[in-house]
Amino acid sequence: MNVKILGITLLLVGLWLFLAVQVPEGFLNGNNMFNLFLRTAMYGVLGIGVAFVIITAGIDLSIGSIVCLSGVLLSLFLSVSYDPTDREHVLEIDPQRQVIVLAEQTDRFEAGDQLRYYGSTQARSTVVTLVGVEQVVTEDDGGNSVSRSLLRVNGLNPATSKASDGFLATLFPVKGVDTEKGTVTVEGQLAGLEARDQIRFIKPRGGMEQIVVGRTESVDGNTRVSMEGDMGALDAGWLAMPLFRDQTMPIPVALLSVLGIALLLGVVHGLLVTKIHLQPFVVTLCGLLLYRGISRWLVNDRDTGYGNEYESSLSLLTNGKFELFTLGEPYGTYSIPYAFFIFILVAILAAVFLNKTIYGRYMLALGRNVEAARFSGIDTDRMTIIGYVICTVMGALGGLFFLNYSNSIAPSSHGNFFELYAIAAAVLGGCSLRGGEGSILGVVVGTALMVTLKMFINLMKISDTLEFAIIGIVILVGVVADELLKKAVARRQASKS
Amino acid sequence: MQDSDPSGERDSGGTTLLECKGIGKSFPGVRALDGVNLSLQKGQVLSLIGENGAGKSTLMKILAGVQPPDEGEILLDGKPVEIESTRAALDLGISLIHQELNLATNLSVGANVFLGREPLRGGLIDESTIKKESAKFLKMVGLDVSPDTLVGDLTIGRQQMVEIAKALSVNARVLIMDEPTSSLSQAEAENLFVVIKDLRARGVSVIYISHRLGEVKELSDHVTVMRDGENAGELSREAVSHEAMVRLMVGRDLSEYYERKEREKGNLALEVKKLRTPVHPQHELTFSVASGEIVGIAGLVGAGRTEMLETLFGVTPALGGSIQVSGAELELDSPVSAIAAGIALAPEDRKQQGLVIDMTVRENLSLAALRRDQKKAGFLDFAKEKKISEEMITAMRVKTPNENQIIRYLSGGNQQKVVLGKWLAMKPKILLLDEPTRGIDVGAKSEIYALMEELAESGVAILYVSSEMEEILGMADRALVMHEGRITGELTREELTEENVMQLATGGEKTAA
Repeated sequence: MNVKILGITLLLVGLWLFLAVQVPEGFLNGNNMFNLFLRTAMYGVLGIGVAFVIITAGIDLSIGSIVCLSGVLLSLFLSVSYDPTDREHVLEIDPQRQVIVLAEQTDRFEAGDQLRYYGSTQARSTVVTLVGVEQVVTEDDGGNSVSRSLLRVNGLNPATSKASDGFLATLFPVKGVDTEKGTVTVEGQLAGLEARDQIRFIKPRGGMEQIVVGRTESVDGNTRVSMEGDMGALDAGWLAMPLFRDQTMPIPVALLSVLGIALLLGVVHGLLVTKIHLQPFVVTLCGLLLYRGISRWLVNDRDTGYGNEYESSLSLLTNGKFELFTLGEPYGTYSIPYAFFIFILVAILAAVFLNKTIYGRYMLALGRNVEAARFSGIDTDRMTIIGYVICTVMGALGGLFFLNYSNSIAPSSHGNFFELYAIAAAVLGGCSLRGGEGSILGVVVGTALMVTLKMFINLMKISDTLEFAIIGIVILVGVVADELLKKAVARRQASKS
Repeated sequence: MQDSDPSGERDSGGTTLLECKGIGKSFPGVRALDGVNLSLQKGQVLSLIGENGAGKSTLMKILAGVQPPDEGEILLDGKPVEIESTRAALDLGISLIHQELNLATNLSVGANVFLGREPLRGGLIDESTIKKESAKFLKMVGLDVSPDTLVGDLTIGRQQMVEIAKALSVNARVLIMDEPTSSLSQAEAENLFVVIKDLRARGVSVIYISHRLGEVKELSDHVTVMRDGENAGELSREAVSHEAMVRLMVGRDLSEYYERKEREKGNLALEVKKLRTPVHPQHELTFSVASGEIVGIAGLVGAGRTEMLETLFGVTPALGGSIQVSGAELELDSPVSAIAAGIALAPEDRKQQGLVIDMTVRENLSLAALRRDQKKAGFLDFAKEKKISEEMITAMRVKTPNENQIIRYLSGGNQQKVVLGKWLAMKPKILLLDEPTRGIDVGAKSEIYALMEELAESGVAILYVSSEMEEILGMADRALVMHEGRITGELTREELTEENVMQLATGGEKTAA
């Protein structure tokens, strides 16, 4: 451990001791400790990523936008929709005549069926009973004749106006509810309904419950469904609309796709820097703007996320915890988030790569003197590109963390300034923007220091408008002290030889 | 230059202008200067020589106000002076021209001459005065360029003249030149000598620091030799000889400076046919080097020698022609492929291209060999790395406290030994050396020559570029001479004479041996 890392470690420990003494209940309680670990992990992966770019004497300003883009992409790739499988497109409804015209011809529905009309922007969802089905031939916009089904129904509110568009789905009557066992028996065969699908229960005179399916079994031509979750006021007489869960991509495919995209972006950054000789600042500044813009465009600038769909898988990264022990109030339970273990693993791999492999040595050498490295037979372009790739891939990993942490992200602001936090942590941790210098342990400590500083501001009830100012001062003092220290060491070295 | 002489005297010698008495300077742990005396006459060219680390630079920095002495006194015109800053030195008429020129290459010649002292008119820079005045000083140093020319567009030799013009413009009475010819061609150096002699005639005193004893002999009115921070001896103009200077510098006789031995030539190691480099694409280069042979490449700066070595090393890929190593045709598109073929290059610019000067001796020694030595899934083998670097430090006689010393703090000669060690660890078949002894002191030079001999003895083919005539004449088994991108001639050992080399280097024909 060199003197510099020792310095900021002492500062970090000092800050911890200060907070532990000044605001023990606020700082030392289990929740706060959990947050300290979690935030260090989330920001830490970004810091480690940018450290590699900084070591190659580059910079990456696009990290925050990469965090946002990968968050947006993940929520798109992992978005889940629940739709009735046996639904039909509605062309038009006419409440006065109690008629519904379907877009196509179908013989699925029989008189007496209870159907749910929904999805139109013009008419409210409603439950109707089918009276009879006729086949009609009409002309479409192009003048071709098309066969369609015309349904005569009961239950459309005559006071509402005509509307077009929407869907019609079959409803199944609930025959019985066993709240003890948590099961619902539904008339008819709900084929294909599986765990994690859902059933929307509708009470004809108002009232709605949507519950997750656990397991289904067939009993006497009816279907018995074990439900997960509160069955509330559910009772016989309600109607069930089975909804099939549709996930855009399997989790591994989505994760690999996002990491792959990040990797490609890193390759592009690296190629532009090494082959076209653009300045890293410019390349990644353009990245910052470009990826932010793409993120906003992809989701029409709407908040996005996948809610609690992955509660028992991905969301465990940031919500899941390894419990240590419990103290009495107000301290509560102490635990470590799973994300922290991943962060430590990443940090160890990064440190080994940097210090124990020839590739890390190559990066340190080319960061100091790219020409001498090239004259030593090192493929400096390739090593530089690898630096940028590590950075963007770490950005994507951070994106995964932050998406799960935030649950819902606003593409216009998610990840703003994260690149600066990451760069600040790396610089505090001993990376020199001149290149060729850096320590992963330093970045870890630097990140923890940044996170602790934010807590300090919070816990000491300092106005949070001062947050940036305080972080700025700490970094400035850090680098000034480092520069003075380096001069002193150089003087001592020079006089030795 | 009467203005520069407040006493108004026009005495071309005999009057002591500057005197240092008992100068001492210590840095923590080292005594850099110990009771050094120096006496400079008016209108005298005084050469200050000594090996690297002898204290020449420290003494000059004291005179130029870069750092203060710990003890001793400095007399100017017989009066003690305190030189507290570079500004104070300039005000006293002492001007230091660094080895690495301190010019703003993005500014014009005129702007550089008046940098920091721009004449103003109405608060704005007075360009016309700058032009008029700087033209005067440019004429004084025989530099025929417009003051509007960008400094970056000039050759190094002409940039040096701009530095001198700048020094003259502040009425320098003492001009200190630190290895001014180290990056000049022969012709540029000759021109510099003319200017220096002219300055002397104008009554300017020059302190001239150089490792090139030939020029020292030609120029000096007096030679002061330093060794280990002390005065090692004084030589008057009559007593200056190569042998006398070397003896005082190293403190022993170097009876055999170039120890050439007769060696058996082996098979052809490198065969180059019709090679075209990107810098001089119109010329085709054809030559060969046998293993165990030392071939020198002579020529003026800009003759395309460095570019040719860089093409052979794959740094700038060839435009055409063929390169064969031990009979096998090679496609050299990067240093990686050249190294794989057994070619090594110790480049001209040691600090920029040869070494990562902020890394340790060990890390530099192993940098090229890592790919080969550390095969365990890319993991570094620290024990092996340490062993190899210790071996190389011993073999190269690198003077360093240990293998973890940062390269920056080694002397030039030891740095060059590390560059060579880095490549010898690779056991190359062909060693390319570009100005192998530039900026290196006499002792280290002879060690590097001995190393070249040893390597050739062991069968390595050596191809070296040198701008120093002595080095070509002294070391080469055979010499290629280049001029403006083409090989103008090849000289066998018997034909190797200064006249032949100069003839070919300037584009002429060799005379029969």
